[in-house]
Amino acid sequence: MRQLTEDETKTLFAKLAHYTGRSINNLIAPPAGSEETDAKDRPVFRVSGNRVYYLRLSIANLATSIPRANLLSLGTCVGKFTKTGKFRIHITALDIIAPHARYKVWIKSNGEAPYMYGGNVVKAHVGRWSEDIPEHSGVVVFNTSDTPLGFGVTARSTAEIRKLDPTAIAVFRAISENI
Amino acid sequence: MAPTKGSARGKGGDSKSSKPSTLSSASRVSKKKDVKRPPPQEVKSKARTEPKQLKKTKKREYTEEELDLPKLNMITPAGVVKPKGKKKGKTFVDDQEGMMTILAMVNAEKEGQIESKMMKARQLEEIREARRKEAEARQAQKKSKLEEAKASIRQKRKNKNESKQDSNADTTAPSMNDSSSKSKGKRKSVSFA
Repeated sequence: MRQLTEDETKTLFAKLAHYTGRSINNLIAPPAGSEETDAKDRPVFRVSGNRVYYLRLSIANLATSIPRANLLSLGTCVGKFTKTGKFRIHITALDIIAPHARYKVWIKSNGEAPYMYGGNVVKAHVGRWSEDIPEHSGVVVFNTSDTPLGFGVTARSTAEIRKLDPTAIAVFRAISENI
Repeated sequence: MAPTKGSARGKGGDSKSSKPSTLSSASRVSKKKDVKRPPPQEVKSKARTEPKQLKKTKKREYTEEELDLPKLNMITPAGVVKPKGKKKGKTFVDDQEGMMTILAMVNAEKEGQIESKMMKARQLEEIREARRKEAEARQAQKKSKLEEAKASIRQKRKNKNESKQDSNADTTAPSMNDSSSKSKGKRKSVSFA
């Protein structure tokens, strides 16, 4: 287990920024008044194997006592680095990313099952959109009760979607680990 | 080995009183290899001490740049410069400031991308809208033209009918059946006229 290098940090943040807005700063430096403001116990990113975990510093320090080979997982897995150096987000990162999502799409209850079973979101199933979403940008998909379901990539911009017929695909499913 | 040894001795012999020493050495050596040794010994010893040879060593003092060696023949490949006094291996980023700066850079880049995307989309939308409006205008023009043509035809027909009716009213003999005569109206009128 180790810290991230500069390049790795850049790739990781670039990927996270695909789905999140400026408020991602809160991931690294929690705002004053929250529970995790203590400098000794700030949240950090750590690499174990090729996986990146998001956890508190105190836990990371405790984990140093465990041999590398025996350490399976710690904290929340954000994703993993591929052998070519790219970063793949895992669905486990949803809880971290969802509160800071830049664009959101709410789907109706009849569209939940198709999405959860690996389908794309059609226009008829979309309940609500964020305003002014450009084409091919990352979105977080929510259900009507505001529970994050997964990630997606918009097929069309918000303006174009309005003109489409109800069976047209509105959001491509992005990370297919939902079920 | 043997010739150098001999040469040294030869020298020493020359510097000191020559005869007795040379004789003694000669007598010792001559027992083993008497004939072969002397001529090559002398030549080599002379060559090393000569000023010509010293000059040659001076000639060897070329720097690497002067030699114009191709760069790829070096042990380290061209372009790879190892920075001295720098930490080996990975440089970790674990302090908040460092992470924040990286995040700010990434965010700025991302926002620029999104902005450009939005601009592009907006421009495309404008172009599309303009094209649609143009097409609509063209369609409307076409329709109005068609309507005009229709109206003019109707007008013509009305006029004709009116004139026909007038003519029919003029002629005292009424037509046998109006509905069938309509298509043959012209002929009839011609024939009756």
